[in-house]
Amino acid sequence: MSVLVLGEGPIARHLRATVVSDVAAAVVVTEVDGARGVGPIEELDDATIDAVFEQPMQKVIAGLQQAHAAGVERIVVIVPTIGMSGGDRHAVHAALAEAARITVKSAARQWGPDGITVNAVALAPEEFGVDPAVSGPVAIAPRAMRGTVDASNTVNWLCSGAAAHVTGQTVVCDGGLWM
Amino acid sequence: MSRLDGRVAVVTGAGQGVGEGIARRLASEACLVVVAARRAETGEPVAESIRDHGGRAECIVTDVADGDSVQACVDETVRRFGRLDIMVHNAFMGGIPHKLENARIDKHWMKMSRTGVWASLFCARSAMPHLVESSRRPRGTGGGRLILITSPSGVEGSANIPLYSSAKAAQRAIAKSLAREWGPHGVTVNCIGPVAGSPALLTAFERDPALRDAIEARTPLGRVGDITGDVGSVALFLASDDSAYVTGQTIICDGGSFLGL
Repeated sequence: MSVLVLGEGPIARHLRATVVSDVAAAVVVTEVDGARGVGPIEELDDATIDAVFEQPMQKVIAGLQQAHAAGVERIVVIVPTIGMSGGDRHAVHAALAEAARITVKSAARQWGPDGITVNAVALAPEEFGVDPAVSGPVAIAPRAMRGTVDASNTVNWLCSGAAAHVTGQTVVCDGGLWM
Repeated sequence: MSRLDGRVAVVTGAGQGVGEGIARRLASEACLVVVAARRAETGEPVAESIRDHGGRAECIVTDVADGDSVQACVDETVRRFGRLDIMVHNAFMGGIPHKLENARIDKHWMKMSRTGVWASLFCARSAMPHLVESSRRPRGTGGGRLILITSPSGVEGSANIPLYSSAKAAQRAIAKSLAREWGPHGVTVNCIGPVAGSPALLTAFERDPALRDAIEARTPLGRVGDITGDVGSVALFLASDDSAYVTGQTIICDGGSFLGL
């Protein structure tokens, strides 16, 4: 069956076209604006905090609520790894990513007794339009694998019946950059 | 010579609880502490008590949810005391238990977002030039420090107050990002995740005496932390020269209850 994919942008469009599941499932894509809010903290204004952190975070909360209201058994939230690694001149983007990722854990704790699993899939910053050249190193070592990363299969698995006992986790799908 | 002699710190939310404990501990090492409290009724007595014990402290009324108020606090601190070396953002409001599916942005999120996430950015934005200046001083006489107070639940999530965890997680990510951004200037940025006898927790103990037993039972060190001796001492380490090569980290100060880092 098709999967409810909430969010806008290329990641959401790609997952909408590729992800299916054998159980009712939803995917919430964190909307990271990699083109805005990049810069030293002393130049950060309130409008940027609102646009880059506050509004997208409220969409994540609303997305989780919409998924829960839809009665799905599987929920996956897509985030960038920059929340875990931090990012030079990307404090606001990192705040959004990590707030979304830890909300997943809380949702998993609250909704687990109802048989709902909630997990995160973390992708490389550039998948969200965050320029790795200015965001600083995500990891000390270079990426372990070559080639294009496609998170669809990872999301498919977390949305499936096969992942029934996996919840509150973050699966990093970036070809082995952030470990 | 005391460990923070000559340095100036701003501690937000220092009118009570963990912030008060941190303010007292920093002041005990000759740091001049600005007790940044939303209400003078709580901030002034703490500053006065520190002075009564031989320390140096002043209260500046500050609303951390308002960027202009944070900027005014920093400006006033530098105007009156000539420098700012250590910024501790502890103030936080909200934390009402809720079900995520029913959570309302206005009731369950915005206060925590403003006082936790936005305020961390406000404190960083306003303090940054002064922290950089502090790090230009010779070792032993300065060193810019930003310390954010987070929570173990900012790492592991929370079944009771889910969006509290979200805000606390965001603070850790801000600390890591600023550690990268400010490292070249010699300014360190770290977090503390405490579980300590704050007024909120002590009130909860009064309402539910079994809660203290439950917390102590799950804590390897068998007791609830002290705001000054335990949490304040971690803040002192992060504020001092001893932690000059520690940045982007979270120190959980909870007696070993949470071991998931």
